[in-house]
Amino acid sequence: MRLQSLSALVTIEIKKLVRHPVNLFLNLLFPALLTIVFIFTFSDPELGMSINTVVPGLVVYAVIFLIMTVAQSFSSERKLLRRLNTTPMTSTEFIGSQIISNMVIAIVQVVVVIVLAYLLGFRPQSGLQGIILAIPVTAIFALSSVGLGLITATVSKRPETGTGLSFLFILPQMFFGTFMPVSSSMQNIALLVPSHYLFNGLKLIFQGNWMSLDFLFDFAIISLVSVMIVIVGVVLFEKYGNI
Amino acid sequence: MSSADNSFLKELEKKQLLKIANQKGIKMPEKWSRQLMIELLSLNITGNEILENKQKTLTSKNKFKGSTIIEIKDLVKKFENITAVDKLNLKIMEGELFSLLGANGAGKTTTINILTGLLNPTNGTAAIAGYDVTKNISEIKKIIGVCPQEAAVFPYLNARENIELIGNLHSLSKKDIESRTNRFLELLGLTESSKRKAGGYSGGMLRKLNLIMALINAPKIAFLDEPTVGMDARARRKTWEFIGSLKMENKTVILTTHYIEEAEALSDRVGIIDYGQLIEVGTPEELKNKYGVKNLEQVFLNITGRRITEGL
Repeated sequence: MRLQSLSALVTIEIKKLVRHPVNLFLNLLFPALLTIVFIFTFSDPELGMSINTVVPGLVVYAVIFLIMTVAQSFSSERKLLRRLNTTPMTSTEFIGSQIISNMVIAIVQVVVVIVLAYLLGFRPQSGLQGIILAIPVTAIFALSSVGLGLITATVSKRPETGTGLSFLFILPQMFFGTFMPVSSSMQNIALLVPSHYLFNGLKLIFQGNWMSLDFLFDFAIISLVSVMIVIVGVVLFEKYGNI
Repeated sequence: MSSADNSFLKELEKKQLLKIANQKGIKMPEKWSRQLMIELLSLNITGNEILENKQKTLTSKNKFKGSTIIEIKDLVKKFENITAVDKLNLKIMEGELFSLLGANGAGKTTTINILTGLLNPTNGTAAIAGYDVTKNISEIKKIIGVCPQEAAVFPYLNARENIELIGNLHSLSKKDIESRTNRFLELLGLTESSKRKAGGYSGGMLRKLNLIMALINAPKIAFLDEPTVGMDARARRKTWEFIGSLKMENKTVILTTHYIEEAEALSDRVGIIDYGQLIEVGTPEELKNKYGVKNLEQVFLNITGRRITEGL
């Protein structure tokens, strides 16, 4: 892998985030808005939820929306990808750049959500250590969003289709994998949703329980599942992505 | 000629440039653009050389003999029931500007896509600089530049950033990227708009940027797929001059076009492709003589029974 090539590709992805209004909104402004709205709406002891329960869910929300931006980007930039494919760029460099840039975006998202939440009263028991630990754990989970985005882009021929189809992966993770109350019969479904493990893991981190077996189990699942999903995404996109 | 002389030339009007050319005994047709004249005078390349080069190509069939750089044998590409390329055989020589002429859907782009590794052939073989396109595509990608038919540029990057990206993917040094970018932007008249996002460019400007991105790595072989589609007459003429000047650097250029005059003005040889089959190959002069007609449009009409623009 050539560093010059990799860093050039990462740079354009970051520029895309900053300069593309839709990407900027979905990746940074939308999580910020959600944080403000959800903290005011749901962090109410009468609803059985505190701000400390809501914040891990908001981090999850921010990162799962990466599925949509990755899907849109890959669906709409096919002709650009074809052009890049005629240069000496390798698929490892390209996929590596996608992973790195989306991890960077996930890190920025965690920071945005937590800083805003802090301003609105979020005080994790873990203190700063927990916040710092939450960043790499979330960044690893971002791999699954890249993978699911690639799977969506493989199926969708147009960016609009990509947006719609991405909700097939976003909605279950939103409803079953975060703080939304689900019936006991549905709780088994939550076990199949990757975001469930990030949500639980972040709760444990913010409680200062990152040395617990429960956290290690969640972290192992997050890492394993995310790597598996991204591999499946890359293989499917390379084979059927019509590049 | 030093860089100081370069900047001096840039200050001059076309008439003054022609005067300098005359003083040096250099033939330089008046119709050539000021930019091209500056470029050629800066590089100490005479207009005579371009004209002589073209003349030699026209008069000597064997100019490129012995230096095959692209060899295509019985190439077939099928998409389900449609045969896009049908048993195509062709040899292109090093330093040659070869045009594939055909109507839309004739198989030109499919052929280019196979040669550049974007598509796998159904049957047959193709080799570039001795590398098989299905087995050694990574080696081929190091020596080619591809200008796709649809302008493929990042809309949220400006022209310089788009070009820089391709330069970095080719592992060029910063210095090379910068100097070539400046040179090409100036030659194609994009310098002033080079810091604007490409998303706001006109169709013609996008095509020019598309072309520069294909050539930034100084490729040994350039594939230019309909590079002037959608350009106005002036921009097209400027682009022709730019493409023509590539020959001075001994680059092999494979140009696909459905503009007859483009093929006629630029090409050493022309291949006429129809329904995926290469039905005629030769220099423009040879083809015109063979069919006893005045231009390639009539050659095309004689061979295919229709005008090239039909169905566009």
